[in-house]
Amino acid sequence: MTIRLSMKRVIFLLLIIATACNPSVSSNPQTDTVILTSTTFLADITRSIAGERLLVNSLLPVGTDPHSYQPVPQDVAKIEQSKLLIINGAEYEHFLESLLENAGGERETIEASAGLRLRTDAESEHGVDPHLWLDPNNVIAYVENIREGLTHFDTDGAAIYKSNADAYIMQLKDLDVWINEQVAQIPSERRLLVTNHEALGYFAERYGFTVVGTVIESFSSDASPSAQQIAALVDQIKSSGAPAIFLDASDNPALARQIADETGVAVIIDLHLESLTDGPPAATYIDMMKHNVTQIMNALR
Amino acid sequence: MYPHDDHQTNQPILDVQHLSFRYNGRFALEDITFHLHESERVAVVGPNGAGKSTLFKAVSGVLPPTTGEVNIFGSRPRGHVCIAYIPQRSQVDWNFPVNVADVVMMGRSAKLGPLNWPHKKDWDYVHHALETVELSDLAMYPINQLSGGQQQRMFIARALAQEAELMLMDEPLNGLDTPSQEGILSLLDQLKKENVTVMVATHDLEQAANHFDRIMLLNHRIIAFGNPDKVLQTDNLLRAYGGRLRSASGDNVLTADDCCDDGEYEHSH
Amino acid sequence: MIAATMGNMSTVINFLLQPLSYEFMQRGMMAAILVGIVCAVVGTYVVLRGMAFFGDALAHTILPGIALGYLVSGGAREPLFWWALGTAIAAALGIGAISKNAEIKEDTAIGIIFAGMFALGIALISTVRSYAVDLSHFLFGDVLSVSSQSLWLILLFGGLVLLTIFAFYKEFTTLSFDPVLAVTLRLPVGPLNNLLLTLIAVTVAVSLQTVGVALMVAMLVTPAATAYLLTHRLSKMMILAAIFASLSGVIGLYLSYYLSIASGAAIVLTATMFFMIAFAWKKFRGI
Repeated sequence: MTIRLSMKRVIFLLLIIATACNPSVSSNPQTDTVILTSTTFLADITRSIAGERLLVNSLLPVGTDPHSYQPVPQDVAKIEQSKLLIINGAEYEHFLESLLENAGGERETIEASAGLRLRTDAESEHGVDPHLWLDPNNVIAYVENIREGLTHFDTDGAAIYKSNADAYIMQLKDLDVWINEQVAQIPSERRLLVTNHEALGYFAERYGFTVVGTVIESFSSDASPSAQQIAALVDQIKSSGAPAIFLDASDNPALARQIADETGVAVIIDLHLESLTDGPPAATYIDMMKHNVTQIMNALR
Repeated sequence: MYPHDDHQTNQPILDVQHLSFRYNGRFALEDITFHLHESERVAVVGPNGAGKSTLFKAVSGVLPPTTGEVNIFGSRPRGHVCIAYIPQRSQVDWNFPVNVADVVMMGRSAKLGPLNWPHKKDWDYVHHALETVELSDLAMYPINQLSGGQQQRMFIARALAQEAELMLMDEPLNGLDTPSQEGILSLLDQLKKENVTVMVATHDLEQAANHFDRIMLLNHRIIAFGNPDKVLQTDNLLRAYGGRLRSASGDNVLTADDCCDDGEYEHSH
Repeated sequence: MIAATMGNMSTVINFLLQPLSYEFMQRGMMAAILVGIVCAVVGTYVVLRGMAFFGDALAHTILPGIALGYLVSGGAREPLFWWALGTAIAAALGIGAISKNAEIKEDTAIGIIFAGMFALGIALISTVRSYAVDLSHFLFGDVLSVSSQSLWLILLFGGLVLLTIFAFYKEFTTLSFDPVLAVTLRLPVGPLNNLLLTLIAVTVAVSLQTVGVALMVAMLVTPAATAYLLTHRLSKMMILAAIFASLSGVIGLYLSYYLSIASGAAIVLTATMFFMIAFAWKKFRGI
């Protein structure tokens, strides 16, 4: 008799522990990650539109490089729990393909860059350049796409999303003006960019820079250059007079330093092109852009 | 020069007291006691697996005994560099890229010490050793081109270059044709003149009787040790070899049956 | 006709010199040659003593040490050398100690450790979410990123290894040919064995950036094995091995430059090709 009671108690305790530890047994739907963006800068842009109405989270943590991101099993769980997925598009989110296959459930997807003209590399088959967000004018289109998607998802919030979006677009236009002012201070012959990979294409087009070359000849950082490619870049840097190589904080600087040693140029290692930071200097998308432009300014002026 | 002990001159060259060696629960050697005098020639005879190689390795300081003592000129073997162990030819890597002179010079390593390269004196020892064993012509030959008898003589030359005073030869006559065997045996005569003490493991009882001062019958224990006629009595031999004796065509010649190899405890690398 | 020959000559010279006009290629070439020589000399003993499996295991076992260094130093290459060196020496002496306590069969024990440590290394590296490119550099080499500082380290430590082998040449040779003789000669067998293990460990650390963990065993074994086919003297074997290794390094880098293939793999393929040619030549001559 005594033994049976103890068993019941144990099972009861185990059930309580199981329920307490099970994350899906939660009563408040608002605390679930319902809106998931692929990257941190998309999360920030989305929050600027969604305001307090929706909880927005980024799948990728701060500081990761989406090009070479290797997903973990927990990422599948996060996707499963989401109801709305916001991605950059333009083949940026390679890592999502396998995750989406494995995740069950249903969700809507917003492609932020829908409708925008994409840069391609006609000479080689390097695909399309996804780095549209580095031109704030493109982000205005992002905002429109996201606002529409959020309104479709949550029609009650339509008015709020509209006013938030309009306010944010004003900020983006101010940012564009500011960048133009900064860039005007760089003599045109020094508007030369060398980057780790082909990230600043749209930025360069918009603001009148020339991309002299990249360490990795690709729209993605997930590759290793060959010796001849490095040699070609060294030659290009020398002949163009480019003053600096610009790296994202998540890039490995070893190869860039090799090239810098040989060509005598500076290496800037703290641009934030693919992710925000925790706190300054790039806590929001607008801060991120200002930081990057300031760094470029300081190196090239 | 690697450190080594001096010789105490009034001690027998080799004194073994109650030596035992256990391996994996078996006694490879049990309670071995004997001593040798300088320039003695002793044949160690016994079936395969009797512990002959083990005995030699314990005497030369390669294997520490489980119990008992080995003393060379009054001190432990580990302190001496004058003991040469000449391995069974089957245990050697004959494809190792060295020539005869290289191998003989290896015997000088202890005398040279680290960071030293051979001097003229060392080359003299090597050349003298090669002459003694009549291998001077083959000094530059790679060792994989040597015949069995030449291989054996090379190792004896190495022991001479080592200035060994006690040589332990593990079945040097195995697999050699009669002329080669005779060559080795006459070399042993030469060594006696140079005051070298020699223990030789062999299967050939007749050779043992004819060329050695004393014979040790070994089968994990010493069955008998002494002059050949005393030792090579039938009852001794039966105790040593068990059922493994064959009479050759009816006359009084007994040979040991060495076809079935028990294998000693150690495996070759 | 002389003009044509001269023209051809200058194309060839141009072909050879053009990659070398870049400092990073010069450094890479020097690293490959130095590493080749050290691996070949040490590899001679590895081949003669049948230690190829040990060499492979050692190279893989150091991955967790490199991973720790990678996590701690955030991607800089120079500190990794010291992490690799420390881990390699510890691993070499550890594996050596295990080989003596043969409760399990030696190659089983080594295999278990080798695979387990390798997996630990990959697990550690994968905690950095963007690990794939760096991992491939650790596995297959990254000779194009050899900095001046790295080159000095290779020269210094590689030189130390070569000097030590020169100093203890006859001891190592005696020990490798006849360990029992070494004991009867009262050579300090234990310390000498440990010294050799340490030298192999230092060689692995020095060679890491050039060929990487996965291909290390090839640099230790293949040039020495090629030389073994062609000579009967140990000293010549070492010299020939060093020549084959250096040539493999140089040719491999040229191949990597002109064909845009991974440099570590190109070097190993060249070394293997030398072996196959020597092997065929020997068969053909019926030696």
